[in-house]
Amino acid sequence: MLKRFFILSASLMLFTSLANAPLVVYSVSAGSITFRSDAPMELIKASSTELKGVFNADKKQFAFTIFIKTFKGFNSPLQQEHFNENYLESDKFPRASFEGKIIEDIDLSKDGIYSIRAKGNLTIHGVAEERIIKCELTIKKAVVSVKSNFTVLLADHNISIPKVVHEKLASEIKVEVKADLIAK
Amino acid sequence: MRLKILLQCTVFLLLLSFKLAAQDTTDLMSQLEKELGGDEKEFTNYTTATFKTTRLINGHSVENVGKGVMDVKISHRFGQVNGGAYELFGLDNATMRMGFDYGITRALMVGIGRSTFEKTYDAFFKLKILRQSKGKKNMPITLSYVPTVALKTLKFEDPSRENYFSSRLFFTHQLIIGRKFSEHTSLQLMPTFSHHNLVQLNTDPNDLIAVGIGGRQKLTKRLSFNFEYYYQLPDYKLAGTTNALSVGFDIETGGHVFQLHFTNSRGMSERTFVSETKGKWEKGDILFGFNISRVFTIGKRH
Repeated sequence: MLKRFFILSASLMLFTSLANAPLVVYSVSAGSITFRSDAPMELIKASSTELKGVFNADKKQFAFTIFIKTFKGFNSPLQQEHFNENYLESDKFPRASFEGKIIEDIDLSKDGIYSIRAKGNLTIHGVAEERIIKCELTIKKAVVSVKSNFTVLLADHNISIPKVVHEKLASEIKVEVKADLIAK
Repeated sequence: MRLKILLQCTVFLLLLSFKLAAQDTTDLMSQLEKELGGDEKEFTNYTTATFKTTRLINGHSVENVGKGVMDVKISHRFGQVNGGAYELFGLDNATMRMGFDYGITRALMVGIGRSTFEKTYDAFFKLKILRQSKGKKNMPITLSYVPTVALKTLKFEDPSRENYFSSRLFFTHQLIIGRKFSEHTSLQLMPTFSHHNLVQLNTDPNDLIAVGIGGRQKLTKRLSFNFEYYYQLPDYKLAGTTNALSVGFDIETGGHVFQLHFTNSRGMSERTFVSETKGKWEKGDILFGFNISRVFTIGKRH
């Protein structure tokens, strides 16, 4: 009786773990975000290498996040301070994130370059906006590299530009994301 | 007995495997957040912008200029507003200080200045000893040390007597303990010790002690209300002096900060406003003044 129970439970365990087998979660091993504000009077560029994220290949779901305070490369320390204090309000909204699903089906086991679309909520300055963002995936030896260029309208995320800096701050910010993901 | 333990182990493992199977239904983002340990452990979140600039009104705030940044400060104090219309409420008389501050590192800045008031040169450095932060490192306050030396170059009152160069020197040591309580509210305490080599009266002490308190309340993103008060200990103050009280506004526009204020103090270096203020608010001995700060980045990108 007991023996049978053992066998049953052992096979059940095996079954449940087998059912989980294709669950492959990739996570960011190296990731960076660079943004650019190209205004008539001033070019502002800053980047962070602290991009974190996970990708569930099974469900095609992803989640990326970054601490706003980790952005560096501003034209002056004061500019960095104003970026955090006045524009992104990083004490109130410490992170930006993008989470959602990939539209296309891709086979991550095949090396190659794929063009995909990621659909999800882009949250900056506490304001979420649904976006479809084109990405280029390069799969090589089980490493998934993501590259994407897109723009963010400050107005979409409730970031207002005072009149005095209109010439120094673009209303449309160019963003470049790069990340390498590996299976956990 | 042994079988019973084995049975319990199996049930436990069984439950565990179910639990593992259930886990992939949880939200990916919350999983990621869990991994990052929330905002708490992953990194140190240093408090920035406790004040808009390195001066509160007359005295120093806990702020430093950034590394490789030159801050040019032009400050004016007009005459007393109770001078009336004849003096255009003090605007006929102005004293001025121009100063240059420079950030050597993030924690150390140096500065020099020249005031028209008693033709005084001053020099200081400001060292940040503690930095308010949350997260990996937790620190409730920012602590700075600011020693200042002032050199009064006004001609000696009585050139016939023997005058020493040392009589022109004044030393001030100040600790600033500051905390940003919220996005809008910051407060600081400033215990201040001054040494005057030469004082006017026999009965005046050479060592003077005062405790300052100051703060700011942000009214909008770019406008804040500031106050600053220096209380002099009764036994360690010069005769006939009053405590300096100043109130004002900071207006920030990109690289500039404009500070407009009312104060009962005429001087703009520590030794004058902390220990030689003569004006009395209740009598209308109030002076209007302003500081303009413009930063120039000399070092590389940040």
